[in-house]
Amino acid sequence: MMQKTVEDRLRSAMEKTAPDDIGDVFARIDAGKVVSIEPARASRKTRPGRLIAACFALLLLGGAGFSYQRTHAVSSVVSIDVNPSIELRVNAKERVLACTALNADAAEVLDEMDGGRDLKNAKLDVAVNALVGSLLRHGYLDSLSSSILISVEDDNAARGERLRQELADEVDGIVTQATVLTRAYTKNADLETRAKQSGVSTGKAAFAQEVRALNDALDFDALAALSVEELRGMAETGAPGMPIGRAQAERIAAKYAGAGDGIPREVESELDETPPHYEVEFEHPTLGEIEYRVHAYTGEVLSGERDALNAAPAAKPAADDAGAQKAVRAALKEAGFSASQVSDLTVKRDTEDGRGVYEVEFIADGVEYEVTVDAATGKVLEWEAEPADRPAGILDRDVGAQSAAKEALRKAGFSASQVSGLETDRDIEDGRSVYEVEFIADGVEYEVTIDAATGQVIGWEAEPVDRDDDEDDDENDANEDDRGEDDEDDEDDEDDD
Amino acid sequence: MKSAKRITIPQTRADNDRLEALLARVARHDRDALAELYGCTRGAVYAAMLSYLKNVEEAQDAAQDAYLQIWENAHAYRARGTPMAWILTVARNLAKMRLRQRARIADLSEEEWQAVPARAENVTAEERLLLQDSLAALGEEERRVVLLHAAGAKHREIAQALELPLATVLSKYRRAVKKLGAHMEGAQNDDAENG
Repeated sequence: MMQKTVEDRLRSAMEKTAPDDIGDVFARIDAGKVVSIEPARASRKTRPGRLIAACFALLLLGGAGFSYQRTHAVSSVVSIDVNPSIELRVNAKERVLACTALNADAAEVLDEMDGGRDLKNAKLDVAVNALVGSLLRHGYLDSLSSSILISVEDDNAARGERLRQELADEVDGIVTQATVLTRAYTKNADLETRAKQSGVSTGKAAFAQEVRALNDALDFDALAALSVEELRGMAETGAPGMPIGRAQAERIAAKYAGAGDGIPREVESELDETPPHYEVEFEHPTLGEIEYRVHAYTGEVLSGERDALNAAPAAKPAADDAGAQKAVRAALKEAGFSASQVSDLTVKRDTEDGRGVYEVEFIADGVEYEVTVDAATGKVLEWEAEPADRPAGILDRDVGAQSAAKEALRKAGFSASQVSGLETDRDIEDGRSVYEVEFIADGVEYEVTIDAATGQVIGWEAEPVDRDDDEDDDENDANEDDRGEDDEDDEDDEDDD
Repeated sequence: MKSAKRITIPQTRADNDRLEALLARVARHDRDALAELYGCTRGAVYAAMLSYLKNVEEAQDAAQDAYLQIWENAHAYRARGTPMAWILTVARNLAKMRLRQRARIADLSEEEWQAVPARAENVTAEERLLLQDSLAALGEEERRVVLLHAAGAKHREIAQALELPLATVLSKYRRAVKKLGAHMEGAQNDDAENG
């Protein structure tokens, strides 16, 4: 059966079966039941009974502990954990009595709020909103691989649950990328002691206990030192062991990559993926982003090129052309690859409708990409990807651009001095490596395709210069889009609020 | 059978701009804008839900949830030229939450694929076969990619929303379409032999 038929039939079948019930959506909006739709939040608070029971059993073993946190005025303690760990003490009127940074990261977040003193007397929901906003601005919650934990500790279980629900709604409205976890529990002196000893919030200590209930061979202090995202990943996968941690993953990746201390890097944990791993990304000044995956429990490097940051890159664009490198980075970013994941990378300067562009081509995962980047702005204008039905890296046999151009001219019957605008581009057509030779002679624009391996002419086209076809329209559209200097592809634009 | 969509993906800025403008209006709680947004994205949102939840009724319900979320959270969308990917990410997160809930309430036994609505008068026997039997023969991600694309999402948008490399999406798509074709052909040959 033809591919087209299957695709069209599926399209038609989906069109017929997808619901068309905007009326119901509006009805639900009007009913005001908007944010209460997230079943997972409800399920998160009601973890399996077995787990909760195990938790409490552990907690009860510890004995009396301190009760220094029991100030008369404090009715609830709300903690917010990402990696920064912040604690809010709240009175019965839901006003903040004190806001405390429990670690250095938190102190930095609270810096703009006079160390948290600005939030004193604020309503709890306002304070939480401000704190989460600040966490976002500090870049803590802008990835899908991040989690925020909001815990409410309250002796009045009903009030604690109500606060938890309200805060969950509040935070869900602000956070779009990260996972929001919420918990409510009653006061537990032993847990507070343990939290104090390991320097984390009681909410995070309780979460660490949850994870430990899955595997009691794990060390509580080590668990408490992990990020909420790591703990969440472990909770979802049955806590098979103690992960090596972000710092260790970074060290392993840096050693493997040959990365010096000066190269900025980012570590994300993906403990709920298979295999569980840390993703370490280096931001190299010329090579761009280079990514490594390190197994979360064994420390084995799962992917990434060894010594990539030591050695010179295989297909580095002309070193004197900063624009080309920028274009390559933009193109790779657009396609979602790091420099180490692609092969046959070429970058060429070209002019399209009077505008300077770079054509970036590369092959990754068996797919051939061609990305056009605006030379002036570094923005991706256009791109195409298609399966490259050939093994990557068979470009060894190559007649070279010069002899390709020579052959093209010979075939067309011109000498080099008779033509203008001679350009030779390497390209891939139907899985074959070719040279596209373009030139103008006698008012006619020629495009000759040469097999890169054999130097044979495969095909050619000629048309009068000054043609005006539909392609130009498309490109003019792109022009208009860019005139407003929109920075929609610019990752910095999240900072402007 | 006429629309000739190619697997290659030029960026369609016009579509993106239109969706972004709609999202901006939805953020201001403009009902017409939501209705229009719904009109041009409902297929993809439903396809995403179906591919995760594997059940028509739940997918329909969850698709509504997604639009409620979009209604409430459109203000959080930052114009970066990826409105469809954002919408699909909302859908994906909701679907995953439902799956987590399901896993906690019920057993982890695999949900059976159920893709034809009880009331679907104008669905042909062939479309029924394709939706129900042929899609069931695919791997879960293949199914997701092929459904999303059939519902109008671009490969790039699918890649962004599912956090997969574009190349992976493309190769899964190709494999899925091939498998679907083979399956349908097989089923029809069986029919011919039996009839």
